[in-house]
Amino acid sequence: MSTSSSAGTRPLKPAAAAASFLAASAVLATGTVLLVRYGPGSMGAGFAVGGAVVLVAAALATWRAARHPGSTTTAERVLTHTGDERDQRIAERAGAVLGMLSLPLTGVAAVLVALGVPALAVLGTLVWVLLAVAVTAYAVLTRRG
Amino acid sequence: MRNDVRARREDQGLSQAALGTALGVSRQTVNSIETGRYDPSLPLAIAIARHFGTTVEEIFHVDE
Repeated sequence: MSTSSSAGTRPLKPAAAAASFLAASAVLATGTVLLVRYGPGSMGAGFAVGGAVVLVAAALATWRAARHPGSTTTAERVLTHTGDERDQRIAERAGAVLGMLSLPLTGVAAVLVALGVPALAVLGTLVWVLLAVAVTAYAVLTRRG
Repeated sequence: MRNDVRARREDQGLSQAALGTALGVSRQTVNSIETGRYDPSLPLAIAIARHFGTTVEEIFHVDE
């Protein structure tokens, strides 16, 4: 039995959700403009598409949390800050797994760059690997927790 | 840790969602507790015990 404090599901805060959405949109727009102008290749377009997908997913999760709070998934509750203590524990543990693996993965990336592999390709791959680690850890912990 | 949450919930004719609503947690959390995949925090365990009108040690049993 955990000794952490109990945390039940929390109600969705529309104002906070709207503020978060606006802030994320501003970051997405700024990042896209900067990367389109100064970034290499199609990095700006990739950033815009990836960011837009995340924003749409967050908006969908927020809508479901508002309309059907009883049928949301663990991920939706974490994304909308409406989760209970189990949801929070899963998110914390997934973050811990990602944190533990990020250091050796970054070390491997540094070695690859030192061996002559193009840094841009290594960094791009590293982001995807870290994302895969986070998603996998989250999925596994959700099934086991 | 084993527990009698499922048996007590079924005795009351409650669904997992209904018990979750009563306790302020999700249906998935109730399911995870019942199947032993999640050990609740002490405050939640006490809330569960109070809901069923008993004590924590009557519901939760440490695996020996």
